[in-house]
This record gives sequence, structure tokens and C-alpha cells, in this order.
Amino acid sequence: MAKQGAKAAAAKPAKKATQLKQAAKPKQPGKGKQPATGKQKERAQAKSSSQRVEDVSGGGTNILTAVPEPKYDWMNQSRQWGVRVKPGKKGLTLGSLNVGIYGEVPTDWPDQSRNPRGAIPRRGMPPVGYAVREKAAMWADGAADLYEEAIQRRWAPATDVPWDSIEPLADDVEHAVCQVCTELCQYANVDIEAISSWQHQMAYGYHEVKQYLATATFDAARHYEAFRKRALYNGGGLGLEGPGEVNRMIIESYGGWTETVAYLFLLRGTFTMTMLRYLERFAHNDAERYIYARVIEDKARHLAYGVEHLQYSIAHIQHQAGVLATVLFVGDRIFARDLRDPVLREALAIIFGNGIEGARATGLDTWDAMMRDFMSSLQETCAWLDIPRSVAGMPKAMSRYLPPDAADEAGADIPEAAQAAAR
Amino acid sequence: MPRFPSEQWFGAVAAVFNGDERYQGAGGGQCNCRAGVVVEAPNDAPADVFVLTFEGAECLGGQPADAAALADVDFYMQMPLADWQEMLGDIQAHGHATADHTLNSLDLNREEGLATSVHGDQYREDLFFRYNQTLQFFFDASARVKTARA
Repeated sequence: MAKQGAKAAAAKPAKKATQLKQAAKPKQPGKGKQPATGKQKERAQAKSSSQRVEDVSGGGTNILTAVPEPKYDWMNQSRQWGVRVKPGKKGLTLGSLNVGIYGEVPTDWPDQSRNPRGAIPRRGMPPVGYAVREKAAMWADGAADLYEEAIQRRWAPATDVPWDSIEPLADDVEHAVCQVCTELCQYANVDIEAISSWQHQMAYGYHEVKQYLATATFDAARHYEAFRKRALYNGGGLGLEGPGEVNRMIIESYGGWTETVAYLFLLRGTFTMTMLRYLERFAHNDAERYIYARVIEDKARHLAYGVEHLQYSIAHIQHQAGVLATVLFVGDRIFARDLRDPVLREALAIIFGNGIEGARATGLDTWDAMMRDFMSSLQETCAWLDIPRSVAGMPKAMSRYLPPDAADEAGADIPEAAQAAAR
Repeated sequence: MPRFPSEQWFGAVAAVFNGDERYQGAGGGQCNCRAGVVVEAPNDAPADVFVLTFEGAECLGGQPADAAALADVDFYMQMPLADWQEMLGDIQAHGHATADHTLNSLDLNREEGLATSVHGDQYREDLFFRYNQTLQFFFDASARVKTARA
């Protein structure tokens, strides 16, 4: 019905086009022109004015160009007509659109265009050059839900954080908070850079992932904003740049998005999450508590995507768990090198101990507890994903935080490729 | 005056939580999960188990359940009655949980943690962190519910 109506309506502009064409005919500016009398000038102005009106009513079409009769052939181009999606209890969610052919998520997406999944490709489109076109290379089942959650649970540092709850702190504590905020700003920058450097390489067949990652980038921008604001709020300002070897490792992990996920979300993400949880626990005011608590929720979504993607990838790519074991084997060593830098450890110990004296008394013990929690979370996640981890092959800077009786699980041999990398 | 823990108490807190729009903004918002609450009774008596259901912007309340129900929830939070009461007392005193009594702090401070699961599914367990502020807002709402001690 709708299509017939549209065709009938198509006759009108065609008639208007003919009128415009006729109106254009006698107008040959400059040809055999004589000096115009006053009346001729008036008539010319009136004519010109009426042509302008027609021009405008013709939808801005140049009056000298014939307007072809629209055919509306594109209207018959739909792979599935009649799809209707209704909002559910959670509203009209991205995931709920996956019905009929629109819910078919193929394992490969050879289309090299920006064609949205479910649309009809246009012939002759030059390839855009997406490098990541396999589902197993980026997919996570919960990506659409995570996207909705990120949109729904967003927060705004400028107005939501109770900034006026920040009172002057002792200089050593303020320096420490500012130092940690500086390093967290760097982490956020790496999140943005790493995700966006892969995102444009991902095929449009898996828009749920691309959209979710867009929110993750935005989350990271918000984290950068919040930590920078905290550093500048109370007279301390930004501190010393972090060592950045892990940052470089994440950004330069060219082996594929999955490798980047292992470094960015699993290794660095678990560490950051643990640190944020301790920072929330030892926050000095409601503003800091607010920031850390909200960033924890955002980071939990990042980890959820990361863990789900790794799980999917391991389930669909042969020997992937072993590959990831090697990736982490290498990553552990670079992570351990960053741990040699005392700045973050000292700053956190001062925050946890509420000053330099407290850092010596309890702060460094709290750092150790934080590291034990980090290592325990990392190992648990790897065990859940079936990624073999060798305690014996782990750098001491990390393995010392595992329980003394921690031993290699069966099958957790150092991967052959990792041994070669170590040599 | 409802007593903690009881279906009436969870219902009264849910009514306050659902009626306050501040809990929906700024890091709160839609929450979809089923969380167990396990209150260990003194003297080795059986623990009280409740299942809290969050759907969209609402908490549908806490239903009493048996221990077997914990296998179906996304995660559950378990503490002795005295620790739950201490947490609720802190919330009553300050209007919201303070440093040592937030869900995050309790999870860090306790040897066995606060939140865990039967199934061990990391994705579902981590809902505790993804929805942490909503869960915190829920318990903070108990500041406006007069609670009888068990």
C-alpha cells in the first residue's frame, strides 16, 4: 500500500519539472541583447522573481537541469519486509533488533564495505579494507547488552561528582592522590588509543561489538576527565608520567584484537579494577569515593566484554588458549618491569596509610594485599577461561603475590612458543 | 516495623528504592540481575536466604528461598547476621554506607569476600561490580526504613 501511494505522488514533481524546463527555454542571457526600457526591466525583474519562486518550490533544483522522473526502484530492495520490533521491559534495545534475517550473525563477514548487517550491498563499492572480519576475532555474546548498559548507566564528572566534598589534604597525601590520578589518566588514554586503533578495522557485520567499544572509548574519555579534574581540584596538579612499558605493549600488540584484549582488559584491566576497588575503600572524601565507584562499574563492563570475547575466541579458534597463554607469558614480563618502578607503589601506599608514616606502618602491607587480590583475580579468570598459566614460569614480581602453595595446574606447562620467547 | 532479614523488610526497602529517582541517575540506572542475600544465623542455625530481583529500574523485592536457590542467582552476598546488622547500623547512622561498610569494602575486607556464586560463571559473578552502585543504593535506601533487630 505504502509503495503505491508513493508512486502516485511521484507524478507531481514530474509535471513541475516540465514547467521548469519550459520556463528555462527562452532565457538565453547575453544573446542579441538590446538596451532594456523601464517596462522591460520591470517585466524581467518580475519574471526573474517568479522563476526564483519556482526554483524554490522545485526543491532547490537548478532550473536549467531536467529533473528525471523518479523510479523509486530502491523501494523493492529489502531482504525482509514486515519486520516489527516492539519495546520490551528494558525498552527497545539493540539486542532486541536481532530478529529474522537481522539476527543472523555470520561467522565470517567478507563484505569490505560499510554496509550495515541486513542491508543489500551496492554493486561496485570499493573495499574499505577492514582487517578484522571474523566473528571469533571480536565477538562477545553480551556486547549489545553491555552497550545498552553503558548508555543507561552513564555519569557526568562535571556535575555528578560532589566536588565540594574535597577538603584540603596533607601535602604528602595530596601528592600521592595526584600521582595516582596522573597514572590513571595515562591508562585511560591507552584505553582510548588501543580501542579506537582497532575499532575502525572491524567489519560492520558485528555492529554490536563496534557500538559497545564506542561506549568503552567514551567511558575512558570520562575517566581521563574525572582523574584530571581530581588532580587539579585541590592544588596538587598532575604528577610524574608513569613508566609506560605496559602502555606501549598494549598499543603495539599487532597480533590481532584478541591479543590486545588479553593485555588491555585481562591483564591491565584486572590490575586497574583491583586498584580502583582499593582506592574506593581508602578514599579521603565523597568526591573520590564517587569517582572510583563509578569507574569500577565502567571497568567491570570492559572486563565483562574482554572475558566474554576471550571465552568466545577460545571456543571457536583451535589452540587459542595456548596462544593466549603465550601472549600472557610475554605480557607478564613487561608487566613485571612496570612493577619495578616504585612511584605507583609508593603513592598508593601513602593513600592507603594516609601519609608517609602510615605508608610505612600499614600502607605497603595494603599494597601487598592489593597485589595478592589482583593476582588471585587474574589467575581465577585465566582458570575459568582454561588459559594455562605456569606459576614456575611467571616473573617473581608477580608470582610472589600468589599463595605459597600455588602450583601449576595439570596442563599448565609453559607453552613451547612462550619458552622460545623467554630464551 | 519490619525485621531484618524478612520479606517485609526487603519489600519496604524496595518501595523506598523504587520511589527515589536519584537512584536511577549518575551511575545508577537499569539493572537486571538476581542476587542472593545469605544471612548466617548465630549458633549454627540454618542461614536465612533471600533472592533479590532487579528488573529495569525497579527492585521487585526479596523473596525467601532455600539454599538450593543460590545455584540460580547471578551471585550472592553472604555474611553473619551481626555483620549485616553492623552494615545496616552504619547506613542508619550516616544515611548511606561509609568507608568500611560499602559493599565493595566489605568484599575486600572479609577473608572470604562478600560476593560469590555457586556456578563460578565469571560473567554473571561480575554483575556484582557492574551493578555495584545500584546494589549500594538499595541498601542505602534502608536508612529510611525503621528496622527491628532480629
